[in-house]
Amino acid sequence: MTVGPVARDAATAEFFDATAAGKFELRRCPAGHFSEPPAAQCTTCASTSLHWEAASGGATLVSWAVAWSRPATGEPQPTVLVIAELDEGPWWWSQLADADPANLAVGQRLRIEFRRAGPEHEAVPVFALA
Amino acid sequence: VIAGLGMTDLGKVYGRTPGDFAADAVRRAAGDAGLQLADIDGLLTSSGVTGGVSVDLQRDLGLTDLRLLSHMQSYGSTAGAMVQVASLAVMSGTASVVACVFADSPLQPERGAGAVYGTRRAPAGWWGLLGASGVIGANPMYALAARRHMERYGTTTEQFGHIAMAQRSWAALNPAAQLREPITLADHQASRWIADPFRLLDCCLVSNGGIAVIVTTAERAAGLSQPPVHVLGWAQSHPGQYLRRHPDFGLVTGAATAGPAALEMAGVALADVDVVELYDCYTYTVLVTLEDYGFCPKGEGGPYAASGVLGPGGKLLLNTGGGQLSGYYMWGMTPLSEAVIQARGHGGERQAAAHDVVLVSGNGGVLDHHATLVLASEAGAA
Repeated sequence: MTVGPVARDAATAEFFDATAAGKFELRRCPAGHFSEPPAAQCTTCASTSLHWEAASGGATLVSWAVAWSRPATGEPQPTVLVIAELDEGPWWWSQLADADPANLAVGQRLRIEFRRAGPEHEAVPVFALA
Repeated sequence: VIAGLGMTDLGKVYGRTPGDFAADAVRRAAGDAGLQLADIDGLLTSSGVTGGVSVDLQRDLGLTDLRLLSHMQSYGSTAGAMVQVASLAVMSGTASVVACVFADSPLQPERGAGAVYGTRRAPAGWWGLLGASGVIGANPMYALAARRHMERYGTTTEQFGHIAMAQRSWAALNPAAQLREPITLADHQASRWIADPFRLLDCCLVSNGGIAVIVTTAERAAGLSQPPVHVLGWAQSHPGQYLRRHPDFGLVTGAATAGPAALEMAGVALADVDVVELYDCYTYTVLVTLEDYGFCPKGEGGPYAASGVLGPGGKLLLNTGGGQLSGYYMWGMTPLSEAVIQARGHGGERQAAAHDVVLVSGNGGVLDHHATLVLASEAGAA
């Protein structure tokens, strides 16, 4: 189970600065609402005065799927993909590292970790069983 | 009123661009209606993942002095949305004969469809991050939606299988369908995982081709070649749930609001519906749409699908051409084209005995764009 390569652009630069430091940052408005990282306006009150704020890293499992890749050679490889609800509220879509999909249940506790496709690539947030 | 239907060869048809298919489909639709291309004064175009269809189609078809021309895109709900806009245009006098067309050619010889549908991964930015996380394309997104339903209501893969089986049985009766060999529940359960909980036989196929319809007034249609198919009601719903925190994601779709609204506009009840043509990118999409339209209570779509109501001879005449799972994958034009065929009474071996009212759905994004149409073989049906 691995993450793919991803490069930063202008919109994601600060987010990837944070992931490189082991932090998952959310957007937060002056009223205190959290929005998911790509939000350009607050998903609750539409404020565009957003700042970055680190999430706690705790989350719960909302849903999961197991994607089976078909590599050119070798056996099909499973990747457990999840929707997780961060403790701050927003949902995030990523993979679940090192988990047996047969033993998953909605509401299970997760925590955010980070993986890189290689040293030259950005750190990608993934989830692990807490 | 839908007065013309044009369908190109569909499936593994190579060597033609989406623009070629679109032009072919409009020519066929005009011919089917008994109209000349010069009679068309409105054109609405739409395209699939490979693009290639645009308002330039006007030039390809040599259409002059159009009074309505636009490219529309709300994914799988576009076909229904186009018929809605075209109907409003002919009702208001904005235009009198409007062609609505979709075409795509994702399939290439010696190349799997996944190579086309899977190469949209962006290398940078937020979409690049989603791809790098492994969440690539529609399969895992719809699988995440379906899992929510399974966990909430106990829906099973076997129940999905009943939808796949029933549609294959219908496809066996449709000469235009790509997959016509009957399948059993065991075949479904033995098909490989694509994105668990979806197996191969839960997923739509991929097709090259184009489909167009001609929308005009009832007065104009009366003198044309085909039995007119009346557009009694329509509605769209775009919940805005996708990639956002939303408690209904995967559980309730836009069909829940658009379905009742379209039926109310049409002045018909769900019980009056004779034939149902639902957008079926996955078996699960059919299941959740049946619930949202009210054919069964929320959460009971699985047992309902497995209860024997589906398939030829069943109580619910659903996706009678095989749909996109077994027939052909032309986005919202798949359910719409079969609805027109059934409403006209031109379904051949698969024709529904009663076909006064046909309910049509379109779904796109990840259960985030919906269009409902209520079609009828008579203007005052029901």
